[in-house]
This record gives sequence, structure tokens and C-alpha cells, in this order.
Amino acid sequence: MSSLVAARDVAVGYGSAPVLRDVTFTANPGERIAVLGPNGGGKTTLFRALLQELRPSQGTLTTTGRCASVPQTERSRLDFPVSALDVALMGTIPGRAWWRRPTRTDRAAARDALKRVDLADRAERTYGELSGGQRQRVLIARALVQNAQVLLLDEPFTGLDTTSAALLEELLRELAQEGRAVMIATHDLEQARRWDRVLCVNGRQIAFGVPAETLTHDVLAQTYGAAIVTLPGEDPAAPHHAILPPHHHHHDDVPPH
Amino acid sequence: MLEPFQLPFVQRALVELLLLAVLAGTLGCWIVLRGLAFPAHGAAAAAFPGLVLADGLGFAGALGGFGAALLFAFAVGRLGTRRGEGHDTLTALVLVAALATGIVLASDVFHSAASVESLLFGSLLAIGPPDVRLAAAVAVVTLAATWLLGTRWLTTGFDPASAPALGIRSKLPDTLLLVLVALGAVATLSAVGALLATALLVVPAATTRLISNRIPSWQLATIALAAAEGTLGIWFAVELNAPPGATIAVVAGAVFALVAIGHALVPRVAKAAA
Repeated sequence: MSSLVAARDVAVGYGSAPVLRDVTFTANPGERIAVLGPNGGGKTTLFRALLQELRPSQGTLTTTGRCASVPQTERSRLDFPVSALDVALMGTIPGRAWWRRPTRTDRAAARDALKRVDLADRAERTYGELSGGQRQRVLIARALVQNAQVLLLDEPFTGLDTTSAALLEELLRELAQEGRAVMIATHDLEQARRWDRVLCVNGRQIAFGVPAETLTHDVLAQTYGAAIVTLPGEDPAAPHHAILPPHHHHHDDVPPH
Repeated sequence: MLEPFQLPFVQRALVELLLLAVLAGTLGCWIVLRGLAFPAHGAAAAAFPGLVLADGLGFAGALGGFGAALLFAFAVGRLGTRRGEGHDTLTALVLVAALATGIVLASDVFHSAASVESLLFGSLLAIGPPDVRLAAAVAVVTLAATWLLGTRWLTTGFDPASAPALGIRSKLPDTLLLVLVALGAVATLSAVGALLATALLVVPAATTRLISNRIPSWQLATIALAAAEGTLGIWFAVELNAPPGATIAVVAGAVFALVAIGHALVPRVAKAAA
């Protein structure tokens, strides 16, 4: 099975000093990969490198198949006069010359993508009036319109109620099952344990592997530093139970322009 | 009642305003959507010293005005991309400096103080064929740019951080929007002057924004509203012997106030009735 993303010894940043280094991992079709790390730890920087907005200063980063980002919904303007369909249609821009307007095929693709995320009946609704979970799925539809093989989701579960979160988790499972790689920046350890791989970063790659073997107390302590809280566990094989405090969701690893 | 519209200079003013309504409807919506109202006002004000300079040195006023407005739009546009506060403050400072420079040039350098009022508040009833041609050309360019670049302006404004990942890496569409703001400001100068340009470029679009939730319907409603406000403004101006630019601005402001009040009251009335 050929991987969709292969990173080897990658260092990437905004100026001379890399924000993130020593990154070596692969993302295969069908995998859901949790990207864990503190705010400012390099998660957004990694995603920007995968989107080819930043060039690695060191190492090799190969992507086969298109990467598309699914940002947090609060980052977009909820007061804009756009429908869910308009937002999904934004995903057709990369495939079109700048002087061309969306064609009928583009509109059909956007509608199909909305159908894929169970929002066919919400296509004409104003984006800002949708619920947080629905908005997140519209942004996933926008990524699907780009025929993305690798989806990069930035803390997509933030602010979602239990039902919306369950719906979204099921959707991500299906999208992976269809042969995509889904990378999800998250702070939720329990969720990360349910997925296929975890990638822990904090200025450098701390660990990468299957959750059961990777999410050790040591790795989490290195990933989150002093922010980690440990509780004594009863299981002698795992003497400490790690708990992470709630995080803010700023993108503080993006430097000022 | 319609007698004023039989006068040739009123008819010419009406044609000018209908062309500017197209500009107000297309460009105005982008100005409001992308938060460029203050820079648009600044660009128009900045055109004032350019016009005085052109008048004094004897070259085309539109050229002088456009040069100054463009310079301003770029300075503000560049500053706008930077983070932090102080952007509005700087716009305001440059705006004041532009007005002061214009007044000093007009009164002390070129001694053309007599034309200052028409440069600042427009002279709609003294409009000439070159003004109409300029308005028509800018309206056509704006329509074409909206047709071609509208999706990109929308996408960049909707989520600037994601725009590069969506294939919008060039700064050109946004730069062109600033050029259009400068062009639009210059095109409105002869009608409503440097200080009242926003009465056409911003107020109608801001009014219809309250009641529209899609771009195409918003733009069409703004064209219709700007045309109606302009027509009503000219009629009032001729009937009451009032300055037309200011009259149009008052009409536009009053309509905005009424729509804003209605917009605020309707949900409450509906709630009370429920």
C-alpha cells in the first residue's frame, strides 16, 4: 500500500529557526491520525507544510494526492451572505482558471459533496445560520469538492455537542474507509486512542505510532510539558493516568505578518 | 411634478447617477463586505489634493484625483494587511493630511479657492460628457471585475487564512479591488464630491445589506436603491434649490436610518405577535 504522505526528517518554520523539526511519519489510505500537541507546538505549521504553503527547510515531505484543510468554523466570517452551497463551491476554485466562473459541473460537484456529508437539504441555507456541527461538515464538503485524498482537520470537535460530535466522528470514519487519510489536530486523548495512529509534536516530533503503544505517560509529558496532570492508576502496568487540562484554541504558532 | 427631468442638465445628471448606481451596487457591496468603507472614504478625500493640483497645473482632473486616490488606497491597503491596532488611526491621519493639503494648495498656492466647494461636495448639475464617460467606463470595468473576480473576493474575505489552500495565492485580486475603490472614488467625485463619495459607494450597499442574504440579490437591490435615491435626490435638489450632492447624501442617510430602525423592530414585533 503506497502512502499518501511521507515525511522524513522534516524541519519547517517561518524564518530561520524551524517551528517544528524531526518529523518522520507516513499517512496511509484509510488511516485516521490524531495530531496531538500543545498550542504553539507546531500542529498548524505541519498542516501548512502539507498544504505546500510552507517549504520544509530540511528533510523531504512527499504527498501523493491532494491535501485539503478543514479549518475551525469560527475562523470564517459567519456574517457573510453565503449559502452552504456557496461555501462548498469555494472548493472548485483550485481546479479552475482565474477568469472562469463556476460551471454546472462545479455546482453539481458541490451539491454531491454536501450530500456526502448529509447536508443536501441545507444547501441553500445561510452558512452562519447552521449549527457548529453542520458548518464543520460544510467545510468538509468544501475539502471533498477538491478531490482531496488527505483531509487536515483543525480541532474539528471544538464546541460541538455530543450528538454533532458523534455524527462528525462517524463521517470521518467513513471518509477514511473510502481510502482517504484523515489527520485531525485534537486535544482529546480519549478520542485519539480510538483512531489508527497518533502523531505527538511539541516543537519537534515526540512520537508517532499506534495509540496503544504511543500514548505513554512519558510521551504525553514530553508533548504537553508542565500542562499535564497525572493521577495514580490502579493498573501496575500503567501506574499513572494522564489528564490534560482544557486548552484554548488559538493558532499561536502562526507568527505575525 | 416631473418637470425638472425635462431640463437637459438634469437629464445628464440623471444619466450620471444611474451609471454610478451600477458602480454603487457592484463595487459598493464589495466595499461593505470587505470592510473597506473607511478606506473608500479616505481614497475619495485623498483625491481632493490631486484634483486641486491637476486644476492648478492644467492637466486632467481625473488623472490627478486617481493618482492621489490610488496612492492612498495602496498605503491603506498595505497597512490593512498588517496586524495590530492603529490602522484606522493612520487612515484618519492621512485623510486629514490630504484635506489640509488640498485646502492649502487651493487657497495659497494656486488661488483656486472658488472651486473648492464643488471639489468637496460635487457639482452634479454641471456635469459634462467626460464625467459621464468616466462613470460609464468605471461601471463597465467594475461589472467585469465582479464577474471575473467576485468568487475570489468572496472567498478571501470569508476565510483569509484558508484562501491560499483554496488556490488563491496571488495578491492580485485584492490589489485590483483597491484599484477599483480608487477608480470608483474618482468616478463619483464630479457628482457628489470628495467628502460625499460614500453616500454613493457605501450607504446604499450598507442599507440593502440589512435585508439581503446573498451577493447577487444584494447587488441588484443596491443598484435599484442607489438609482432611486439618486433620482429622488436630484428631484428634491431642483425643487428645493438645494445642493444635489448633499441632498442625495441626506436621502441615502434617511433611507438607511429607516431601514435600520425597521430591521431592528421587525423581529421584536414578530416576537410580540407570536
